[in-house]
Amino acid sequence: MIGHRLTLVLLLTAATLPAQDLKEFEKKVTEFTLANGLHFTVVVRHEAPVVSFHTFVNAGSAEDPGGETGLAHMFEHMAFKGTESIGTKNWPAEKKALQDVEDVYDRMEAERNKGPKADQSKIGYFGMQLKQAINVAQSYVESNEYTRIIEENGGAGLNADTSFDYTEYFYSLPSNRIELWFLLESQRFLHPVFREFYQERDVVQEENRMRNQPGSEGELLRDFAATAFEAFPYRNPPGGWPSDVENLRRGMAQAFFDKYYVPANINLAIVGDVDPAQARRLAERYFGPMPARPLPPLVHTVEPAQDGPKTAVVESQSQPLFAAGFKRPGQDDADDPVYEVISLILSGGRTSLLYKGLVQEKKIAIEVEASPAYPSSRYPNLFVIFVAPAVGHTVEENQKALEDLLAGFGAQKIDAETLQRVKTQARAAVIRRLDSNAGLASLLASYYGNYGDWRKLFTQIDDLNKVTAEDVERVARSCFVAQNRTVAFTAAPRRPAAAGAGESRQ
Amino acid sequence: MTRLSVLMLLAAGCVAAQVPLPQEPTATPRKSAAAPAPKPAPPPSWKDLVYPPIHAVAIPDVETITLPNGMKLYLLEDHELLLVQGTARIRTGNLFDPPEKIGLATLTGMVLRTGGTRTKTGEQLDKELEDAAASVESSIDEGFGSVSFSCLKENLGEVLADFHDVLIEPEFRQDKLDLARTGMSGGIARRNDEPQGIAEREFTNTVYGKNTPYGWEEEYDTIDRVTRADLASFYRRYFFPANTMLAVWGDFSAPEMKVRLEKLFADWTVEQPPVPAFPPVSAKPAVGTYLASKSDVTQTFFSMGQLGGLLKDKDYPALEIMADILGGGFQSRLFRRVRTEMGNAYEIGADWAANYDHPGLFFISGSTKSVSTVETLRAILEEVERIRSTEVSEEELKTAKDTALNSLVFAFDTKAKTLGRILNYEYYGYPRDFIQQYQRALEAVTRADVLRAAKRYLAPADFTIVAAGNPEQFGQPLSKLGRPVTALDLTIPEPKKQAVQPDAPSLAKGREILARVQRAVGGAGKLAAVKDFTVTQNDRFDPSAGRLDASETDRWIAPSHLRQDSRQASGPISTYCDGKLGWFSSPRGAGPLRGVTLREMRNEVFHVYFSLLLAGAAGANVVAVDDRTVEISAGDGIVRLVIDPATGLPQQLLYDSPQPNGPPKPMEEEYSDFREVNGIQVPFHVTYHLGGKYLAESTVSQFQINTGLQLEDLERRP
Repeated sequence: MIGHRLTLVLLLTAATLPAQDLKEFEKKVTEFTLANGLHFTVVVRHEAPVVSFHTFVNAGSAEDPGGETGLAHMFEHMAFKGTESIGTKNWPAEKKALQDVEDVYDRMEAERNKGPKADQSKIGYFGMQLKQAINVAQSYVESNEYTRIIEENGGAGLNADTSFDYTEYFYSLPSNRIELWFLLESQRFLHPVFREFYQERDVVQEENRMRNQPGSEGELLRDFAATAFEAFPYRNPPGGWPSDVENLRRGMAQAFFDKYYVPANINLAIVGDVDPAQARRLAERYFGPMPARPLPPLVHTVEPAQDGPKTAVVESQSQPLFAAGFKRPGQDDADDPVYEVISLILSGGRTSLLYKGLVQEKKIAIEVEASPAYPSSRYPNLFVIFVAPAVGHTVEENQKALEDLLAGFGAQKIDAETLQRVKTQARAAVIRRLDSNAGLASLLASYYGNYGDWRKLFTQIDDLNKVTAEDVERVARSCFVAQNRTVAFTAAPRRPAAAGAGESRQ
Repeated sequence: MTRLSVLMLLAAGCVAAQVPLPQEPTATPRKSAAAPAPKPAPPPSWKDLVYPPIHAVAIPDVETITLPNGMKLYLLEDHELLLVQGTARIRTGNLFDPPEKIGLATLTGMVLRTGGTRTKTGEQLDKELEDAAASVESSIDEGFGSVSFSCLKENLGEVLADFHDVLIEPEFRQDKLDLARTGMSGGIARRNDEPQGIAEREFTNTVYGKNTPYGWEEEYDTIDRVTRADLASFYRRYFFPANTMLAVWGDFSAPEMKVRLEKLFADWTVEQPPVPAFPPVSAKPAVGTYLASKSDVTQTFFSMGQLGGLLKDKDYPALEIMADILGGGFQSRLFRRVRTEMGNAYEIGADWAANYDHPGLFFISGSTKSVSTVETLRAILEEVERIRSTEVSEEELKTAKDTALNSLVFAFDTKAKTLGRILNYEYYGYPRDFIQQYQRALEAVTRADVLRAAKRYLAPADFTIVAAGNPEQFGQPLSKLGRPVTALDLTIPEPKKQAVQPDAPSLAKGREILARVQRAVGGAGKLAAVKDFTVTQNDRFDPSAGRLDASETDRWIAPSHLRQDSRQASGPISTYCDGKLGWFSSPRGAGPLRGVTLREMRNEVFHVYFSLLLAGAAGANVVAVDDRTVEISAGDGIVRLVIDPATGLPQQLLYDSPQPNGPPKPMEEEYSDFREVNGIQVPFHVTYHLGGKYLAESTVSQFQINTGLQLEDLERRP
């Protein structure tokens, strides 16, 4: 039997590293920026002959053009498809075949664009031609060669992730193969080929379906964000809306790449058994040829002020789930560390207010978690609390208990002992992540990308330590108000009794 | 420290490693980009890269000591961080759960820590540990129990003391057992919420056998039976020093730590007989396709495969290579065919998941949009057939071997991994150099080995295939796979209500109350004379109930045949039950009654007014709860009947109503507007409250008794 116990999401921080201050750590760090603007952070750790790589691109789904949601994610999938020399049996022939695919697709779209006057039989004919053209292009493909090379060289933890604000690519290799990473990583951003685009689009649709099953937690969170944000692109799922994804074109991915994958918008971190001087030579050699280009624009859309509480309800046959979000400013706001402290007071460990109140004492929830920044942090976002009600207890009951607790929280000062505890925990949580190559590479690249300096990883501990009980009270009082609030929950569907029950049980 | 250069062996598997190269990278000519050049040379092909030999891995020595009380210590110094961490491993597991108390081991593992120690409550531990950003945690999994700690070196003294107390004198306080049970009940209620979870669970449990410890599930009933005393006695049986291995790693000196731990655990002297072996896996192949229907999903999640083997099996390396070529990564056959070429899946993979001590599972799992279900499963089965009928290519073999061998270095990248591996080897009786043996065996695998192993072990004809999805959208039925299709019943058994414990006075009083009701409605003789009835009524639901109003006709023939026909806006619905089994028919489909619907219909049969009021005669238990309430139970039916103290007429009927999602809710039927039919007082108006909220009311328009109904009329399907 596999234990199906629900694991509590507790931030049970295990340990901290008191003496490991910034100065000590800085000795292991080498940084350099190439002439084209590409930035590298290298950390030496000779524990084992392995090395981890992390590429951080300052563009994510928030940068998806209107009507083309899911494009940043689609590009991320394309980045594994190879280059003009990797993944092809005959590049010149494949290049032509890929162009043929686009030409047929253009003709099909031109017909479709006639709207009510479109000739359906022509569209059907072009559809068939498109399939054939795709098959021809496919015949030149050395399938998944790019990833095969990484895997057969011992690549570990190979993956990528598209978030709202950024896209990351990462894996680890035995350290004698460091040059292989330089070659592969530079080539995919120097000479990318968006091959198998339309087959991969189907894969992405399957991925989105998997993550957003009707009535699932995925769908709840999607609707939650779409309700909380009216204008800002955090309202769109990072995987895109299915109808947008269905119409993404190869040219769009190329345009997105040209605009956002410019050297100054990318930074890379290398951690492990590495010689920084060698890393720099290899960086110049392989990434030097990337042309310098201007930085892409920031997102200009500003979310309008919220005028009152909002609610999203998702019909679901599953057990209830509940989320409450409150608008807050972006990560550069001076109060950012205060939100972090509040989230730890509310849900950091078994001593936290929400765990003690809803789970341990009232037993109306089995899981509670607060997140200081959701769904992402760069632009104004949400402070969110997620609740899984216990059997026999409702969303309403939990919502009421949560509101009472938050109201009480904003009405009185937090005691010094609690404040000290969460600061100790926060510090431990940050430092504890430094002990793996892959974790460290991810943090360094992400802090550089987000704040322009990896040192923020350490200085944020000082920022947290400056938070006072007055700060907590002030921010809680202004943030946890109904006008700022969006709640989302799942509810049993309304359906005919006998038919519904019989039908769902066969 | 022993410096074993095991990884020199790894290099043999890599491209061009035979070429001896100076270790200094600067010495290689192709690094000349550092020198000024007018035009950068084009980058080399990845094929031309030459790698220097890999630096040797330092495999640390683990100090092993047996304390006088029999506890084994494994100590490993690691001075990189100022941390000390440890884990005690105890030979126990949920495989030892008694069948009527499944969940006992898991609950014991949870409450061991949360329930506090003799001197400190769980909350006191929470606060102390979190103040120091330290942790002590405990759990019992399938095949072992763990109590672990992690702390800063400076807090070691107090954290070790708490760790010691949790391990040797846990208190299992009742409030934390209740809390753990609440959490576990939530897990049970939510176990059908995610189709992927359903597919994986049903596959695992079906292959191992649902009536064996490897394949059964905890239920509300089995965890409800677990008491605090059960936790304490389960703990006593398995937690003793000779049954415990303690591994500690981090920033300390091993000789000092040895002295410290010996002193700390000197007071732990309990003895118990050796723990018996785990029950063997006794599964027979569960051949066929199993369908878990879920009407609310757009994808089918599938898991298919069979029983696998052990890590120490001679053919394990060949089978691992086989599974890797079939479905191990981006380059695998299944990934290329189902994902890259068909575009039918995001996740698709195969794994020969071997265990240390009992056969693991070979499985292929993934998900695809509903309409591609059958074509995807068929493509997978073809690939399984292909890998067991022809040799893999030399290129595939090389890729799979390079992948496995070159990534082996990551098994050594932290000291904690080395210690964890040694702990596993000792626990399961494997040699300490097992990973080196495995590496050599992996290198020796040939194409013929892969085919031979695939032929010998893979039996696709005997596969268990579990699909969780919406069969109405499959496009073609699962039976097209040419294997028998069995529907899985996912119903979560609801907890059984404990009947009131009868004693002589409550039984006598129960009979008395029942006799009074019988007299009030017209007498037991008139009730016994009812052989059939037909009732027509209108049902009006509260808008929030999400049900449509209906006009309904119920027909009943003694003793237990009931048919309900209702008409509502969405069309007619009929249900029939003979007291045991039944069927339904609705505009959205027809079929046998199952799960919640079947239980609901059986309840309806049990609740039939005339037979219920005669319960005493029908051999049911009738027990008085108070002056005006009797509890009537028979078989799995149990109700409480409340009478009007003034008239003696039935006033309320209380029972648990099964719910499709989650545990049952209390139903309250309130009777009024009594009218005489064939000399019997019958309520013509019923109000329903579910879970304390108003649900509906029924108004009878016609009630006929003994019109000579025929069984075949009731049984006839629309």
